[in-house]
Amino acid sequence: MSESLELTPDEPGTVRTRTPIIEAHGIVKRFGGVIAVDDVSIAVESGEIHGLVGENGAGKSTLMRVLAGVLAPNEGAVRVDGEPLDPGNTRAALEAGVSLVHQELSLVPEMTVAENILLGSTPTRFGFVDTKEQRRIAVDALKEIGVSVDLDEPIARLSVAMRQFVEIARAIAREPQVLILDEPTATLTPAETEYLLDMLKRLAGRGLAIIYISHRIPEIFTICDRVTVLRDGRHVTTVEIGETTPGAVVQHMVGRELELELQEHREDPKIGEVVLSARGIRAPGVNAVDLEVRAGEIVGLGGLVGAGRTELVRAMIGADFRTGGEATITLGGTTRRVTSYRSAITAGVAYIPEERRTDGLALTMAVVDNITLPNRTALSRRSVLNRRRVKEFARSLADAVNLRPPEIQREVGQYSGGNQQKVVLAKWLGREPDVIILDEPTRGVDVGAKAEIHRLIYELADNGAAVLVVSSDLPELLDLADTIHVVRDGRVVGTLSGRDADETSVMALASGQVEADGS
Amino acid sequence: MTEHTHKPAIHLPPVAEIEQEVEEKAFKFSEWMAHQGIFVVTALLVIFAMLFVDGFASLPNITDVFNRAAPIGIVAAGMTFVVISGNYLDLSVVAQVATAGVVLIAVSNVFGLPVAILVAVAIALLYGLVNGIAVGVFKANAVIVTLSTTFIGLGLLRWLTGGSIYFGPNDGLIRAFGTARLGPLPLAMVLFVVVTLLLSLVLTRTTFGFMVRSYGSNREATRLAGVNTGKVVIGAFTMSALGAMLGGFVLAAFSNTAVSAMSTGYDFRSLAAIIVGGTSVFGGRGSVLRTLLGVVFVSVLTNIMVLSGLGFGVQQMAIGLLIVLAVSVDALARKGIAS
Ligand SMILES: Nc1ncnc2c1ncn2[C@@H]1O[C@H](COP(=O)(O)OP(=O)(O)OP(=O)(O)O)[C@@H](O)[C@H]1O
Ligand SMILES: [Mg+2]
Repeated sequence: MSESLELTPDEPGTVRTRTPIIEAHGIVKRFGGVIAVDDVSIAVESGEIHGLVGENGAGKSTLMRVLAGVLAPNEGAVRVDGEPLDPGNTRAALEAGVSLVHQELSLVPEMTVAENILLGSTPTRFGFVDTKEQRRIAVDALKEIGVSVDLDEPIARLSVAMRQFVEIARAIAREPQVLILDEPTATLTPAETEYLLDMLKRLAGRGLAIIYISHRIPEIFTICDRVTVLRDGRHVTTVEIGETTPGAVVQHMVGRELELELQEHREDPKIGEVVLSARGIRAPGVNAVDLEVRAGEIVGLGGLVGAGRTELVRAMIGADFRTGGEATITLGGTTRRVTSYRSAITAGVAYIPEERRTDGLALTMAVVDNITLPNRTALSRRSVLNRRRVKEFARSLADAVNLRPPEIQREVGQYSGGNQQKVVLAKWLGREPDVIILDEPTRGVDVGAKAEIHRLIYELADNGAAVLVVSSDLPELLDLADTIHVVRDGRVVGTLSGRDADETSVMALASGQVEADGS
Repeated sequence: MTEHTHKPAIHLPPVAEIEQEVEEKAFKFSEWMAHQGIFVVTALLVIFAMLFVDGFASLPNITDVFNRAAPIGIVAAGMTFVVISGNYLDLSVVAQVATAGVVLIAVSNVFGLPVAILVAVAIALLYGLVNGIAVGVFKANAVIVTLSTTFIGLGLLRWLTGGSIYFGPNDGLIRAFGTARLGPLPLAMVLFVVVTLLLSLVLTRTTFGFMVRSYGSNREATRLAGVNTGKVVIGAFTMSALGAMLGGFVLAAFSNTAVSAMSTGYDFRSLAAIIVGGTSVFGGRGSVLRTLLGVVFVSVLTNIMVLSGLGFGVQQMAIGLLIVLAVSVDALARKGIAS
């Protein structure tokens, strides 16, 4: 590899004259025996938006955590503005002007917007919190990104999208020279994504260097000047965006030609009787919703983040408190009422929650333990676990979802975000559920794995399961669903058949531009 | 303009390199301490005691160490379930041990041993249920709840007994049990090991133990997997209560007497053993076998202090220091894992 720090060594035609504001050279990061980042160099200039892509576990987050001083590399060095950065020192990195917006939200839910924005750098006067100054900085940061939100609102009461923006405001409040965003759009709807991308362009226009991670290739091509591809911890290429194509980037990511075509709709789905039926569901944020899902059918819930879809499905299956309405599950001629969350699970429901880290996984436990949890009864006799069967079972499910690396004894917390999502799926697939509810099933999952997960969802439906999918990823919803209900303000405002729906028709309903008939 | 970036940017200044190495080592050390450290540290302590502490390496002394370790070890083994479930500790073992001891002697003096055991079991189940429901179902804080049940239990016991000491008959079964031996080993010690192994199997092999660990690691994810989490917590506190009951039996049988003040310090001593063993106060991680090692460590340490003529005050201080040290190592290790 070239010793010089010149940019884009692969592309001889693009010699840059400006100095990189941040450059990492020969970064190596190991976790025990695992090499997460293997001799990677990257340099980004002021005013540049630099895309970073790669499959799940490619080492993107790890590399960024090294750049932001969260992790100390085993080898290599980071320089900001020519000055070497103290490795593994977050404070030093912040002072040098490197701000990282983590892949997983890191705000304190009980604290207010203003407090969160200044978290870790709270201004003080005579040792007391200087609330005035705190508010001023928070207001400035929010203004900078053009978002208006009540400063005194606790984070817990904000929508996921708004939390994401507060997180960015927090990074901006540090007045960085380099802003790193690790999959910021994974939780956003198309409109919110568009807003974020515009905002980033504006910030870059003012001289900020931005490193942008996403699994959504079109976004990379919308805003980035250059893109770096990582594969298995190694640097594959860095190219000018104008000199490459989405197909070529994906090919670099996976290292082979990939069947990029996601399967669209199933040939002709065999749809049976109503299995899951909900009437008049009420809960905070949910207004008397009726819903039916038939055997073999994939029903999609579309809408903006915060429309009440998560609240609806959770209230329906009893995961959260329900103030009104009733849900039933009908299988083999018997109808059972959902009286509690456990009664739903016993009746054959599988629920894949939106927040994998808080709701989906026990991060300090091994993959095998997480998979065992919902399947413990099937894997035991008289309450004693059969350890051999537990292992075989977990191994086969890890294979089914293509977990990488497939080490079932590893702690789930050590896996990359996308692979963690696969573990959440694996634990429920083992139950062969009759009703499966998936809330954002492919959030943070790479293109290849996404196709895999879609294939699994089709397979479940083809085998007669009633499938309900909540997704803010509109193309995904359009591909998967046989029927789409659009939710706004806790109500179903329109129902479209998967065949006829398109992005425009769903978004029009979701944003309230059109009042549809139907419910 | 790019000139200065061509200078050797590949190597960091040596200072930074050294710092980095130190940090890596410190991080690894805390993790190692939390996970494997107890084995080595316990071995070192025993070797140290054998070489340098007069009177340690004699059969009567070792037997005495184990006889004292047995009741606390059984209590700690049970309480390990509560700690792993992420509910910090069960302070009410103090009340439970004393109650079980007093019931064993006082009730069997009047109604016979079987009735005494039945009453004690019933009381233990009640403790498990009350603590478990308050913590697991009503989601109250375990420290506050068990501190309160300690007050209720001990208060009731003192009120009923008036603080008097109960003596068992000199030819009774209880005394026979307290002094019995299996070959060279005191029966209490054998019971301690058997109970530890049994509870260890419950924790590692059964679905109940599995749910306790899972709940300790992530409550919400465990609930959403369809687990009746209230039952899991009640179960964990019941294991603690049964351990405390057995511990109370052993303690009372050992001296053939019982009094409401007999179990002072059992809360923190068991906690010290559990945490020193490497079970995490954050829940989710740990084992009963580790607690066994922790108990050996704490008991040997106490014995060394006694043999060296250090008073109760110093011993108490040492236990306090030990807990602070162990929870700090635990927190450090957890930080290492989280990053
Ligand atoms: N704390 C850790 N302990 C052990 N291994 C780790 C740890 N963090 C990351 N890894 C490993 O390092 C590799 C790279 O992970 P990283 O999170 O950087 O991937 P990523 O490219 O961000 O993936 P994703 O797109 O899924 O977020 C993975 O194999 C992962 O399992
Ligand atoms: Mg990542």
